[in-house]
Amino acid sequence: MFKYLKKYYIFCILAPLLMFGEVYMDLLQPKLMKIIVDEGVLGLSDGGGGNLGIVFSVGLKMVLFVCIGGFCGILSGVFANLCSQNFGNDIRKDCFRKTLGFSFEQTDKFSTGSIITRITNDITQLQNLVTQCIRGFVRTGLIIIGGIICLLTLDLSFGIVIICALPVILGCVIFFIAKSAPIFGTLQKKLDGLNGVMQENISGARVVKAYVKEKHELGRFSEANKDLVDTQLRVLTLFAYMSPIMNIFLNSAVVAVIYLGGISVRGGGITPGAVMAAVTYITQILNAVMRMNMIFQTVSRGMASAERINEILDTEPSIADGDFDGATDIKGTVEFRNVSFGYGSSTILKNINLTINKGETVAVLGATGSGKTSLASLIPRFYDADSGQIFVDGVDVKAYKLSALRSKISVVLQKSELFNTTIEENILLGKSGASHGEVEAAAETAQAKEFIERRAGGYKSLAAEKGMSLSGGQRQRIAISRGIIKNAEILILDDSTSALDLCTEAAFYKSLNAKYPDTTKIIIAQRIASVKNADRIVILDEGRIDACGTHAELLETNEIYQDIYNSQLKGNIGEAV
Amino acid sequence: MSENNSAQMNNYRLPGARIRRQRGETEKPENGRKTMIRLFKYFGDEKLIFSGLFAAVSVVVVCSVAVPRFQSSAIDAIAAGEFSQLPKILMYMMAIYLISCICTFLQNMLSAGLSQRIVQRMRNDLFDKIINLPIKYIDNHPHGDIMSRMTNDVENISQIISQSIGPMASGILMIVGTVVMMLNLCPRLAVLSCITVIMTVGITKLLSKLMRKFYLKRQQLLGELNAEVEEMITGYKTVTAYNYGEQAAKDFAETSDDLTATGILAEIIGSSMGPCMNVINNASFVIIAAFGGYFAIKGYISIGIISAFIVYAKQFGRPVDELAQIYGQIQSAVAGAERVFEIMDEESEDKRGSLDMDNAKGIIEFRNVNFSYYEGKPILKNFSLKVSAGQKVALVGATGSGKTTVVNLLMRFYDIDSGEILIDGVNIKDIRLDELRKNTAIVLQDTVLFSDTVRNNLKYSRSDASDEEMIRAAKISNCHNMITYMPHGYDTVISRSGQNLSQGQCQLLSIGRAFLASPKILILDEATSSVDTRTEKNIQDAMVSIMKDRTSLIIAHRLSTIQDADIIVVLHNGRISEMGSHKELLAKKERYYDLYMTQFSGKAT
Repeated sequence: MFKYLKKYYIFCILAPLLMFGEVYMDLLQPKLMKIIVDEGVLGLSDGGGGNLGIVFSVGLKMVLFVCIGGFCGILSGVFANLCSQNFGNDIRKDCFRKTLGFSFEQTDKFSTGSIITRITNDITQLQNLVTQCIRGFVRTGLIIIGGIICLLTLDLSFGIVIICALPVILGCVIFFIAKSAPIFGTLQKKLDGLNGVMQENISGARVVKAYVKEKHELGRFSEANKDLVDTQLRVLTLFAYMSPIMNIFLNSAVVAVIYLGGISVRGGGITPGAVMAAVTYITQILNAVMRMNMIFQTVSRGMASAERINEILDTEPSIADGDFDGATDIKGTVEFRNVSFGYGSSTILKNINLTINKGETVAVLGATGSGKTSLASLIPRFYDADSGQIFVDGVDVKAYKLSALRSKISVVLQKSELFNTTIEENILLGKSGASHGEVEAAAETAQAKEFIERRAGGYKSLAAEKGMSLSGGQRQRIAISRGIIKNAEILILDDSTSALDLCTEAAFYKSLNAKYPDTTKIIIAQRIASVKNADRIVILDEGRIDACGTHAELLETNEIYQDIYNSQLKGNIGEAV
Repeated sequence: MSENNSAQMNNYRLPGARIRRQRGETEKPENGRKTMIRLFKYFGDEKLIFSGLFAAVSVVVVCSVAVPRFQSSAIDAIAAGEFSQLPKILMYMMAIYLISCICTFLQNMLSAGLSQRIVQRMRNDLFDKIINLPIKYIDNHPHGDIMSRMTNDVENISQIISQSIGPMASGILMIVGTVVMMLNLCPRLAVLSCITVIMTVGITKLLSKLMRKFYLKRQQLLGELNAEVEEMITGYKTVTAYNYGEQAAKDFAETSDDLTATGILAEIIGSSMGPCMNVINNASFVIIAAFGGYFAIKGYISIGIISAFIVYAKQFGRPVDELAQIYGQIQSAVAGAERVFEIMDEESEDKRGSLDMDNAKGIIEFRNVNFSYYEGKPILKNFSLKVSAGQKVALVGATGSGKTTVVNLLMRFYDIDSGEILIDGVNIKDIRLDELRKNTAIVLQDTVLFSDTVRNNLKYSRSDASDEEMIRAAKISNCHNMITYMPHGYDTVISRSGQNLSQGQCQLLSIGRAFLASPKILILDEATSSVDTRTEKNIQDAMVSIMKDRTSLIIAHRLSTIQDADIIVVLHNGRISEMGSHKELLAKKERYYDLYMTQFSGKAT
């Protein structure tokens, strides 16, 4: 984390230095004030007559000093902000870039929600930490030290007050910080809990309503709410104790200073003006100590955030980039060689061997949970195989630069994710800079042209958050358009036509095959109709390839395929053929 | 977005379209007074505590006004050499400090409890409202926006209430008290002090106006940045698949740089406030000292009074400053409250209806139903359909033909424009909404699972179900095996959005959940689209026994899913184009026949 600060070390040094100027001027004031009171107003040195001349000349000096101090303060603020915000900005950008390089597994582990809070909320906290450190911390530290020195130069007896009060107040500060720090952590968690319930209820509103669970959900929410409120009350109660307790010590110190000052004045050691200055100093010092408390809070929050951010920055993408730039002679082949893969302890794919040739259409069929999606995810290295190798165009996928590998492959995911922008831009995600004509052509192939053009605004209409305004089938077709426009060597359709009606699906495949005959196509599907015309059909069963062949062959020889076929035909084969 | 497009957006609001909130526009409440009054109503039940709080604050204020008086007497005593007076004065001071501390503590405790209880109530009220909103509202509003009312706005109100009740009351009292004391001590110096205070206020206002501009802009950019992060991170799979990371990072960097530039400016202005105040405070000290000295020389006042005035002037400036800040905060809290109340003012779902469904057989009838989501875009046109009890009815048709709409209407997620929907001859509007829904189980296209254990997810539909019943439902829906393979079986926690399950597995679980409800009417809306057909067939075979005497409504693209249905209804453009059993429809050789042939020939017709 420090390497990010290094870049701005000049600001980092200048800000506290200027702060020193400000504090120095601040500390001069009570002394000047003393002169104004003692010499100007009371005229102690010339026997009781006040001297307005002194009031004005010293007063002017004081205002001048204050102005210089103020100027230093403002500049210090400028530098501190230049430092902390640029620092935050650099980290934020790096964090974002870093997370985009994470493998799916890593993202899942952090959970997307947590990553979002880290990049947004935690970085702000960290920024505050830096500002506080180079400004607040330095300022209060200087005030405390300088104030003590000034106080002692007035009269050494005031030192007793400091010696008594300072440890007590410091002790209080430490006690309250130690008490509150863990509660802040809990608070964040409780807030997450509350937001979680809320999120689930909004996105799952239909299910909640359908099962008449409003009361249950309200109970769940109330509980989370009560949890949060209780925690918040714990924090507030702590602070409710803190400020009066600290105040009473502070006030006692003021009383003590006046009392000791009185004794000193009687002994002829100091003047009444000095007592006033001493009261000002002691108030300044102890206020600073109390402010330290606030600063420590920011610091302890900031430290927690720094840790969370470091977790992101220190995570090496588990999918490491290779060197190969992707220039191959062969284009569009995929080979699985003894590939096994699993999530955590459970094995999904077992010893897969499969070669897919250029321009071939290979379909993958299998039961729910048999590993179809996992198989497809290994090709663009969304995950890495546990053992075995995968080759694309004859080169091990691990040797490729990730961007080179992924530009060869176009995946249309099972869940169509649309972004909150226009339909056109959503399609353009597949190939930035493509012309409108290309977008239209892709949409046409994906059978999306018609409904897009029917919409108010057409291609420029918003796809909207989570694609709420589009039906499942429409969303899928936009996602397919995006996959097509990329025009990659290998196109993977991961059950991405499941919400299309049969006519539309058939029209799509027909058009796809006509327009992109050379593209290698890997189709994951449930319906026989979707896969029937594939060059080869792979039957996955419990993570193993059970069979591989054409529709006719499999229908002849493979039990599972026959079974699937029958399940879709029921007893009507005769009529269908 | 083009001009033309935003114009269209005004009269035709896309459901779910996120209209980016312009902070600058909403920050100022539109109907401040009314919202304020409503907000204050939340304090209604807390009158006793509120008056206690006020009493505590008053004591604190009186104390802090009185203390400088004693302090000045002490200094006077020292200056005059009357040292014997000193201990007595100091004792008084200590006593006042002590009282003030106790009352500060009381004030803190009371305001903490008060604000938290109010916020707790407000949150519960809001949530209660949100879950009772009609689906239409939720479909038509960005979820992020609804969320942010709970998280940002209520949180904002919470913080402001807890932080400003005390300071506001004490601020006002303090100003009044200090002015009275100052006038009492020396009217001329009091006027002078007021001038410096007015100076302070003026400069604060000027700076905060400037600051506000930048802060608003920063807030807006921050919103944009957050939206960008949220979108890219939640859509990370697509971002990865399309190598979009570089571009996304570039866009993000742009927003981030903008934010930083604005943020630096805003903060610089913000941090100038302190030093500027310092200059003014000290200048006012000099003014008071100069005039005070002059008056002292003239013999009008004692030097103790000067010392008291210095304290008062400081004391005076602080609450003025604070009140100015609090005013700004309250404005933003009221703006937040307005957004919260906006939801609370939405009409809840119409839950009227008194009849229950205990003895319903499940005869469903749509009678001349017309419905449209948007005016002028009818989805169902004069739709009539009768389903006898115990029948299995399938709805087929192209995307957008209105299949899901039928479900939306039957569950009363939406209300029809005209016509009637009857169950056992009773209009569903007359049936208690919870009865209707309790007796109707649906499994939706988009599966919704909660981040809870498998057991709780299954039992969601019927919390009093026994484990045996649950396991039976899981077996019927073909997920029992899969569950037993999970690390903790039925106690495995499903992560949010079911990331550790495949789409098909999520569907199986939600089917199990629906079975456990043992409803009178079962609706499956593309419920098995990601489930392979063999598993699906197993489920269907198992369903036969449990769905005996129950009515089921099935929507599917996969014709294999629906072939067994008693009646297949083919929808086309919101109308029924044909209807009958699988065999009958095939024999007719019309739309259904075409659909059917595509399924097996793999060619478009």
